[in-house]
Amino acid sequence: MKWQITILTIILFVVIATGFTIHSSKPTPLVFKVPPGWPQPVYNFKENPLTVQGFELGKKLFYDGRLSKDGNFPCAGCHQQFAAFATYDHNLSHGYDNSLTIRNAPALQNLAWQKALMWDGGINHLDAQPLAPITAPNEMAETIENIIKKLNADPEYPSLFKQAFGTKEISTKRIMQALSQFELMLVSCNSKYDKVMHGEAAFNLPESLGYAIFKQKCASCHKEPFFTDFSYRNTGLPMDDVLQDVGRMKITEKTADSLKFKVPSLRNVAVTQPYGHDGRFFFLINVFDHYRKSIIVGPTTDSLLRNKLPLSNYEIGQLTAFLYTLTDSSFLKDPRFAPPGYTIIPSFMHVH
Amino acid sequence: MILFFLCICSIEVLHAQNLQLKFVPFAGKQSLVLMDSTYHTALNEPITFRNFLFYVSHIQLTNDKGHTVYLNNAYYLLNASDTASLTIHLPVKPQSIVAIQFTIGVDSIKNVSGIQTGSLDPMLGMFWTWNTGYIFAKLEGNSPVSKAPAHYVTYHIGGYKHNENALRVIQLNISKKQWVHQIDIGADVLAWFNGKQPLSIQEHPICHSPGKLAMQIADNYAQMFHIIHVE
Repeated sequence: MKWQITILTIILFVVIATGFTIHSSKPTPLVFKVPPGWPQPVYNFKENPLTVQGFELGKKLFYDGRLSKDGNFPCAGCHQQFAAFATYDHNLSHGYDNSLTIRNAPALQNLAWQKALMWDGGINHLDAQPLAPITAPNEMAETIENIIKKLNADPEYPSLFKQAFGTKEISTKRIMQALSQFELMLVSCNSKYDKVMHGEAAFNLPESLGYAIFKQKCASCHKEPFFTDFSYRNTGLPMDDVLQDVGRMKITEKTADSLKFKVPSLRNVAVTQPYGHDGRFFFLINVFDHYRKSIIVGPTTDSLLRNKLPLSNYEIGQLTAFLYTLTDSSFLKDPRFAPPGYTIIPSFMHVH
Repeated sequence: MILFFLCICSIEVLHAQNLQLKFVPFAGKQSLVLMDSTYHTALNEPITFRNFLFYVSHIQLTNDKGHTVYLNNAYYLLNASDTASLTIHLPVKPQSIVAIQFTIGVDSIKNVSGIQTGSLDPMLGMFWTWNTGYIFAKLEGNSPVSKAPAHYVTYHIGGYKHNENALRVIQLNISKKQWVHQIDIGADVLAWFNGKQPLSIQEHPICHSPGKLAMQIADNYAQMFHIIHVE
């Protein structure tokens, strides 16, 4: 009788233990915090609940060159953390086999609030965005079938997918959802500007003068708190004769949308040069000069810019001081977003 | 005992037999042969076909009492190069029906909610990545009159937005009403070029985005189906 009880106890223990294992293999929820005063995000988190495992998987994929045809072009190749996930110094992105894209890689930040992606707004869902750079022959030039093959052959990925999504299956949907989980967490809301708004810091004189000029001359399109109103506008940039990029019209096929591009966010603007949809402005001063001197007024040029945007040298100085307060160094150096296994070099070892 | 077992088996077989839709690709009155035969459109332009695919969804049957038999909301991707894909096993038993209705295309909601799975997996190539949305139907080939590179002819038809809607509902009547278990439906690729707006390959060898041309071609191919056989 006694040995039967022992066996029963063991069986009971195993059953309970198994139950616990199954329970503990559930991914750990990750909280998405909406910064105070910001609107609710447009991304539907119910369809893709954030988890620690999903986020980590997404980060690994984001930094993995195998998502490209020859292994040289991870997402992170054109979206570098120190440049707010834009590309440092490249006007146009460099793709597979010495190719160039036709547009400047935008910063990746606060994506949960974006209804449409890309300079022309052609992509309507964050999950669907990576398909474009992955499959474009002048970007990562890879197919989803090949990526799934490569990931399945990897010793780690199948179990990482299991940890994030419950089974080892690797599918288009899961790859894209994992990437979204990483990208959604890229929230930049801790710049000096934000601290000033929360009463935790104060602008110096040039910054506060710059903020006043900004609100008067720039904020109707570069609307707070995102520093964009997400609209598409023609800012009077003449069309590049090689790129022949009509912008938003490519998507809507309406002539009224010719040469319109999405208003870019100015958060972290000091580190996202070059500027403009085709990166034609290498310095902030070039952008200011365009607005005050070189706007070409055409049929679709924004009504707010038809008389150009008068800016004195003095105002440009103040505005620049203000724009520098939008740099969020805690975002640019956040170890959560750094490449997997990357250790931050202590500041005293930085060579400037 | 054996008899009982056989009875069970035969019942199982009866249960397993569902109403089937079988799509048969045609080019005019002949069966479509890909990458081989040259056909002529209504405007007498020669063309050889390489790929022919389309999405079928929202299948509805009307029974002999005039009631609509709603089926699942499954999406089927029919591919002329893959015979197995051309037969749809409906989740209903053979029955008396007088009409069938289905949609060519993908509902707007599926075009705006991220990544879908199964037959709607973007990996299958029926998806525009740069201007999010499904390609509802695809017809590709070559024609000497095409002015596109390598004389390609590529029609990728889609569009879910207002004023770009290429979704088309097809209604076909069935004369034989009794105990239908298979409906063979012909899909004529030459119909893409005929119809309300005859399509000239020379003028339009390519359609790669939603819009007016895509909607005209969708109007044309909405007429490509006909019942060839019911049993």
